[in-house]
Amino acid sequence: MTVALTVRGLCKSFTKPVIQNLDLTIAPGEVYALLGPNGAGKTTTLRMIAGLLKPDAGTIAVFGTDVIAAPLQAKAQMAWLPDEPLLYDKLSPLEYLEFVAGLWQVEPARAASRADELLETLGLWPHRHERCEGFSRGMKQKTVLAGALIHAPKFFILDEPLTGLDAAAAKLVKAILMERAAAGAAIIITTHILEVAERLATRIGILSGGGLLAEGSFAQLQAQAGKHENATLEDVFLHLTSTAHV
Amino acid sequence: MKMPRWKMYFYTSPAPHMFKPTSFSWLFAHEINLLWRNSILIRTSRHVIIPVIFVGVVFQAVALGIAYFLRGQNFSLPVMIVAANINLIFLFGLMLSRAMTSAIDVLYARGDADFLLASPIPPVRILAVRMLGVTASVAAPWMLLTGVLANAFAIFGKPQALAAYIMIPMEAAVATSLAFLLVVVLVSKLGPRQARRVSHSLALVVGVVIFALGQAPHYIPASSLRGLWLALMPNDQNINAPIWLPARAMLGQAIPVLIICTLCTGFFLAVLFGRAKQYADGTISAASYAGDSPPQRDNGHFRQAPLAATMLKNLRILLRFPGLVTQTVYRSLTLVPVLMILTGRVAIGTGPEVVVPLLVFLTGQLALFFVSIITGGDQAPELLASAPVLAATGRKAAYAAAGYASLVVMALPVIGVLLRQGGHLPALLACMAGCGLSNLILGQRLPIPLYRPAFGKTQTGTVLGLILGVSASSVWALLAWLLVVPQLPHL
Repeated sequence: MTVALTVRGLCKSFTKPVIQNLDLTIAPGEVYALLGPNGAGKTTTLRMIAGLLKPDAGTIAVFGTDVIAAPLQAKAQMAWLPDEPLLYDKLSPLEYLEFVAGLWQVEPARAASRADELLETLGLWPHRHERCEGFSRGMKQKTVLAGALIHAPKFFILDEPLTGLDAAAAKLVKAILMERAAAGAAIIITTHILEVAERLATRIGILSGGGLLAEGSFAQLQAQAGKHENATLEDVFLHLTSTAHV
Repeated sequence: MKMPRWKMYFYTSPAPHMFKPTSFSWLFAHEINLLWRNSILIRTSRHVIIPVIFVGVVFQAVALGIAYFLRGQNFSLPVMIVAANINLIFLFGLMLSRAMTSAIDVLYARGDADFLLASPIPPVRILAVRMLGVTASVAAPWMLLTGVLANAFAIFGKPQALAAYIMIPMEAAVATSLAFLLVVVLVSKLGPRQARRVSHSLALVVGVVIFALGQAPHYIPASSLRGLWLALMPNDQNINAPIWLPARAMLGQAIPVLIICTLCTGFFLAVLFGRAKQYADGTISAASYAGDSPPQRDNGHFRQAPLAATMLKNLRILLRFPGLVTQTVYRSLTLVPVLMILTGRVAIGTGPEVVVPLLVFLTGQLALFFVSIITGGDQAPELLASAPVLAATGRKAAYAAAGYASLVVMALPVIGVLLRQGGHLPALLACMAGCGLSNLILGQRLPIPLYRPAFGKTQTGTVLGLILGVSASSVWALLAWLLVVPQLPHL
């Protein structure tokens, strides 16, 4: 069976070790929530998976392609959505999508129709010719999300994707992500809104002290934490991370 | 490792903790602290301090030379007054332009304003500090330039020249106050983008007028010029008229200095207290939502090639840089003497050969400017890094877009050289290519400072790039001159 993401023995240190011997596996169609306290190394892990940061040791493969040895082939299958929107204030959403589609070498006719569809779906159509400099945080986030979707990636790396979105937009984005997962795309997501992880993720990993503290479905985590079935992910998360620090 | 004491003087800044929190001094120290840390000298490269000190020493040496040369000259008071007044007027135009751009940032950069206004500090204090900050940033470069001259004249027996140290900040304070008044009106009528364009255009107009006046002897008969000069001068009857007060203050006369200081401070305070309430209640920032011009229409042009897509993005960023036209025209003023020489209106130095080094120099400066806009305006470099493209794609696209823009500006003068001095064309093209390429590479790595950093962000650009870029352009221009004029003229 093809695996969407395989991470083995991943290590990264800056002034001190951030990630130590991390193993991760994500299957196609899976939504994996990577949680952890501030400074646990979530963003560092995502940046290494996206090919933006070279690990000190370990291997990363996306759909069988080694991210370190063949970064271009691996990146062609991925979309990276960081917590700070990667956007150009002086471009309009349509121009931004032209640029992103060009970077991922999407066939122009397909890119144009996909851009129209995404702008319409995300409510950006009336603003498609306006420069992003006047956009709210939510509109910027939606523009960036459209950019992440335009090349129909098989693997999404999403760092706090719902930041700044209103309730309706957040619901829409969640629906889009679930639809992509149902179509076979794999998604790794970090969020501090634990309710989102609880509802969206098929599996959850809790990162702490440079490695995975716990991993599994929500029910498995509840069991691991010794919590009853009515316990929220917040209860489980706080219990696991606090006991880990004791 | 502990920093040596001498280095601390370069890298430390006024410490806000020296003052009582929320006091005016505390807030102003904080403002200066941020200005210092964001300044191009400190943020970009520590090594830049040495070249900047070197340039400062050279400036002071040149100023000493000028003052030494002029020490025996005794200009009449009317001549001195007219000269001082003209300088003050041009300086004011340039200061106003810079102050307007800064005022737009202060009044409408929401992150910064909201952060401060959300604190329990009185809004009038916040606005006062921001206005003083703008005054300081507007005055600083002119203080440096006129300061070296004032020092030199003081050394050679004219201590009244030191009045420049009072007059320049006073003029900056008036320019800042006027800018805060004008900007509110302009933004409410035109929107922030157009208002910014107006401020850049003002600088352009002042620059062009200064240049045109400098060239006046070439197109105005000497007798008319002398008549004009005499008409501008004060005479015995009107020398005490208020119109000459700023000039007399600049020349160090005590009473005019006192009057000017009082008037400038009064104007500054009137604007401050007049605007503070509107600033606090959001009336000023709300006005910015009323007007910007309708967005430009642009149909989708999707491209499958990453290089083409990135180049198109770069050209769009370049075209939308607020000061593109004004700063390009500024740099291209070099073309005016070129045009005059090529059309035979003026004969300078070795004749049409002078055109070649001028064009080479301009090519280098334009390439440096354009590539710096593209590099400094790249807000999302990680997008390219996360895409399946080679790392060199971004660099190549920046070179291509900036090179293309430089070619567009330089095409006509090159055709002019082809028509007038076809034999110089190979040397011209070779040196233009070399100069352009070297400055493209330099500017992509060390972009010159063009963008004001957003709230909480650091400045892109370094003055080191500017110094090295001008140096590289000069070297290439010298090489071009040596190629077209192999025998050096007798100096």
